[in-house]
Amino acid sequence: MTNYRLYQLIKRTEALKNERHPMFERNRFMKFLGWFMYAYYAALLILAGVLLGLGLKSDCTAAYHCLDGGLLYLLIIDFWDRFILQETPAQKAQAYALLPIRRSFLMKSYLLRAVLSPANMYWGFFLVPFGLVSVVPLLGWGAFAGWLAGYWFLFIFNGLTYLYTRALCMKHMLWFLAPLALHAALVCACALPDQNIFRVPFILFMNSFTRWNVLPFLLVAVLIGIALWANYVLQMGIVYNEVGKKEDVKIKSTSQFTFLNRYGVMGEYLKLEIKQWMRNKQVRTAFLCALGGSLFFCLMLYFTDVYDGGFMKSFICLYVYIVMGATRLITIMCYEGNYIDGLMSRRYSIYELLRAKYYFNTLILLLPLLLISPLMFNGKISVWMNLGYLLFTAGVLYPCIFQMAVYNRNTLPMNAKLTNSNSGTMTQSIISTLILFLPIALEKIGIVLLGPVWGYAPFILLGSIGIATHRIWLRNTYRRFMQHRYENMEGFRASRT
Amino acid sequence: MNIHIEKLRKTFGEKVAVDIPAYTIHSGDLLGLVGNNGAGKSTLFRLILDLIKADSGTVRVSGTDAEGQSVDVNVTQTEQWKDWTGAYIDDSFLIDYLTPDEYFRFIARISGLNDEQLEEEMSKYTQFMAGEVSGQTKLIRNLSAGNKQKVGIVAAMLLRPKLLILDEPFNFLDPTSQSAIKHLLTQYNRETGATILVSSHNLNHTVDICPRIALLENGQIIRDITNHNGEAQMELENYFEVK
Repeated sequence: MTNYRLYQLIKRTEALKNERHPMFERNRFMKFLGWFMYAYYAALLILAGVLLGLGLKSDCTAAYHCLDGGLLYLLIIDFWDRFILQETPAQKAQAYALLPIRRSFLMKSYLLRAVLSPANMYWGFFLVPFGLVSVVPLLGWGAFAGWLAGYWFLFIFNGLTYLYTRALCMKHMLWFLAPLALHAALVCACALPDQNIFRVPFILFMNSFTRWNVLPFLLVAVLIGIALWANYVLQMGIVYNEVGKKEDVKIKSTSQFTFLNRYGVMGEYLKLEIKQWMRNKQVRTAFLCALGGSLFFCLMLYFTDVYDGGFMKSFICLYVYIVMGATRLITIMCYEGNYIDGLMSRRYSIYELLRAKYYFNTLILLLPLLLISPLMFNGKISVWMNLGYLLFTAGVLYPCIFQMAVYNRNTLPMNAKLTNSNSGTMTQSIISTLILFLPIALEKIGIVLLGPVWGYAPFILLGSIGIATHRIWLRNTYRRFMQHRYENMEGFRASRT
Repeated sequence: MNIHIEKLRKTFGEKVAVDIPAYTIHSGDLLGLVGNNGAGKSTLFRLILDLIKADSGTVRVSGTDAEGQSVDVNVTQTEQWKDWTGAYIDDSFLIDYLTPDEYFRFIARISGLNDEQLEEEMSKYTQFMAGEVSGQTKLIRNLSAGNKQKVGIVAAMLLRPKLLILDEPFNFLDPTSQSAIKHLLTQYNRETGATILVSSHNLNHTVDICPRIALLENGQIIRDITNHNGEAQMELENYFEVK
């Protein structure tokens, strides 16, 4: 088989992987909503491109100079955007690692696909309309094409640096801090008054693309080449390590958590929850990332006035409460998919498991409460907001998210490094977005209608009702899970690795 | 426990995986299920355990439960039968981030067995586990395939079920362990009168321990063989052409 045909075969297999994912056709409405959100985001970018292209004209010598001067911000946003969905070549190549396909070819194929990925052109929705109204009238179509090509090259390079960072994060989670620190330092450097050291060089650099100078293209091409080589070396190493990995968890002590014995069967499932968290990399990493993010936001809010706006305060308070429990619960039962047959062979095990999950994740809310308390004492977050979001999370958001137990049917690997936990779960992504912003909208409406204290009363009331009635709605969720059990078990089996 | 199968049918696309008009497995039977790959053995087990949905037909379990009450249930309608059923099909039955002992303790406690009872039960499997399963600080996911198989089998038998279902129990096991499991199953059947269903590709082992053998082909039970003194051996060898 020729390399080209093999490349096409891999491409086709990737497409089938998505199309045949158990969650893919789960809900037509959610699928439609997902694509609608992509389209909506693209439309927003087009609108922003036109408006900024026209609006920035009066402030600068040329609108595109303003954009070019802020190139750094654009690249930083693009970099962090990629964490949401883009998989690394090592994650994808893992599936073929034991097949008689040269791994070097496989890795090169995936890196080539990363270079040609439409993700590198997504900003085109913004740049094309922006360039049409700002670059074309001043410099003509040729310059516009050069300018766009320059941006495309830069986004390709940005994508490859993302892949490299992501691969490093697989080796150790703390590598996540490297781009964070670098970007924070760069943004701070740009924020110094009258000291934006990058603005003029970036304008000149992007200008040279409009003139089709060979040098900047060559420079970026060399950078892309270096990034490709670095990715190749690093990601090949990761695939080899994963294939040949030995015993990954050494148990030093096997705690019995005897204090949970008093809770009977549910206590046993609580122990399972704790051990699932302690002994599985995917579960543990997700939790530690959430904790790190929460700590970062709380510290920023406590020590700086960057996030002192009303929206950001609400956002941070809500984020801290939902990120450790609710966002993880969106994939509820997906880890259990690994041993679903065992669970289903025991009477009422799913009900007891759901109860344990609810208690465990409600107890986890003490952690955000602890993080937010100092902000209450220094007056940045009101007691009512804190109490409102705490109860709302446990009593309203959790019951809503627990419904995902009925609909989730994709097994997630618990311990493998080379996985993308979000693959094929557009529904889960949409729910994540909704729980992050819907409560804030409700809060703002509540405050407008009832004032800054009573505005939280519905949150507290609804939350308390939800907590008090948890056994009822958990039983209902269990009953509905059992009604969907065959489809779900089939999906779990099909997506188990 | 008696198992009554009526008009049970399951297809995957065009392929008929199980098609059994009527079949009864009597209380105390030790039934061996044999057939080539794709004959429908595992699918039948999954249907009996309500782990997949039948296109049509029913599986009913009847008999006397642990409290001496007479029961007759459709496995899709209630979960009651799970209290007296033990099963191991594959490693999707195992919680692999637990150690074997933690897993056994988990199974015991959610089923109401206390630590003393668990210890007593576990002592019956000491020889079978050969010191490589219990007492280890390894997680199940780090065990060899054979030891995982042992964990699954012991966990299925731990609660002294009245109905025991094991899919390919001899797979991955070393010869000594294969011999041990054969003794365990026959002894368990004799002592408790439990109904035991075992599928296997190993004809010798199946003939050795099963007084009744069902031969599956394309989802249908084409022969129901009574096997006393190993007389099924010849019939099965003829069918599989392994003379």
